[in-house]
Amino acid sequence: MTKMPKMPSLALLKQPQEPFFDPETSWQKPWPRVSRLLYRTSLFSFGPFVFFLLVTIVFGVGSAYMALTKSSPFEALQSGVWVAHPKAGTDAADPYSAAIFARTLRIPLGSGEGLAFYAVVDDRGRLLNPSCTYTIAGKTPPARVWTLTAVNQQLELLATDAGRSYLNSENLLRDKDGSFEITASQDARPGNWLPTGSAGGLVFALRLYDTPLTTGAGIAGPQMPSIRRGDCQ
Amino acid sequence: MRFPHRLRRELMSPRWYLWGLAGLLVGGIIHILIVLSVPTQVPFNIFDKVARFGPDRQFHMLPPVLPRTEPLVDLDPAMRHAICRYQLDEGPILVRAEVSSPFWSVALFNREGQTIYSLNDRTADKGEISMLVITQQQLAILRENPPADLEEMIIIETEEVDGFALLRAFVPSAAYEPQVLDGLERAECTSRINQI
Repeated sequence: MTKMPKMPSLALLKQPQEPFFDPETSWQKPWPRVSRLLYRTSLFSFGPFVFFLLVTIVFGVGSAYMALTKSSPFEALQSGVWVAHPKAGTDAADPYSAAIFARTLRIPLGSGEGLAFYAVVDDRGRLLNPSCTYTIAGKTPPARVWTLTAVNQQLELLATDAGRSYLNSENLLRDKDGSFEITASQDARPGNWLPTGSAGGLVFALRLYDTPLTTGAGIAGPQMPSIRRGDCQ
Repeated sequence: MRFPHRLRRELMSPRWYLWGLAGLLVGGIIHILIVLSVPTQVPFNIFDKVARFGPDRQFHMLPPVLPRTEPLVDLDPAMRHAICRYQLDEGPILVRAEVSSPFWSVALFNREGQTIYSLNDRTADKGEISMLVITQQQLAILRENPPADLEEMIIIETEEVDGFALLRAFVPSAAYEPQVLDGLERAECTSRINQI
């Protein structure tokens, strides 16, 4: 089916006038070459350019902001809910983690010192909540010393009633096979009690000192403790 | 009646898609530029922040890591720390430490706060770490007239002129605190290499 162009009725009334054209003298006249600037155009002819500027700024700045605030460094070493970034904070870090560390002024652990694992969620993928009780049980990868610290989502220490918010491997009750069970709660608990604070989210930091994980031996599937949620207030 | 038709024709034109595509490409370039420039352009710098603990070229004991008064971000509260800031263009630096603790370590950071070298007490010789941080030119000069114990030091040749050393010592319980603090106070961060 051929498409017939609809002719506007105005076009019938206004016949385009043939411009006067004299072949003898036409070289003198600017016509038909009239500057583009003198044509009548729609008011928003620069619309596509404004659109370009908007896309540039929103996409460029927005994605950089999201990458530096919401995302985490590359090359994560993950085991269960525990995540570590062995390369982040060294001079071999990727540009994203270098920018994240420069913005937050974090002090990383060197590879000759140890490796820090962080847990943000529990075993069933729920965000850690400071008003809940958590049971952290199992074993850690081999390390000379390790510490478990409760911090908030900005990695600031939580203020607790007990005056401490950490446990270390030296003062821990263990089973015969070396496994342990730690209860993280706001209120005092029997056994290994990790006091937590009340506000600002909850993140567990497990720092392993002098561990073979950083030297590259036994990287595959380190055994990490599990985090189970108990009652919530 | 006329305007929507014109608007539709305007929006259908390829100019919009092409400019939008160009916007995505230039936006990607801006993203990369922002990410790469953040470490050098941040107004607050870890190297300047470390300066407030005291003068350069000596170890300063950091206050204990407690809630709301943490001296630096992401330090371990089970540890005590000492920090020494240096600028190698004023001469090489010798770090010597001996702490009686189940675990202690020394890490070197560059101006951006990235670790360039770290080691723990297991690599220490007779319980003492003696570490010489030096640039390549300074090492060449030093080798012409070497001090007697140059061979016993761990020599760290670096191009990073500005930096700081962080000494961490693990405190298993409060009973260990006096001996750990004593070890941190005796730790040296000195430039007097020939007078050891």
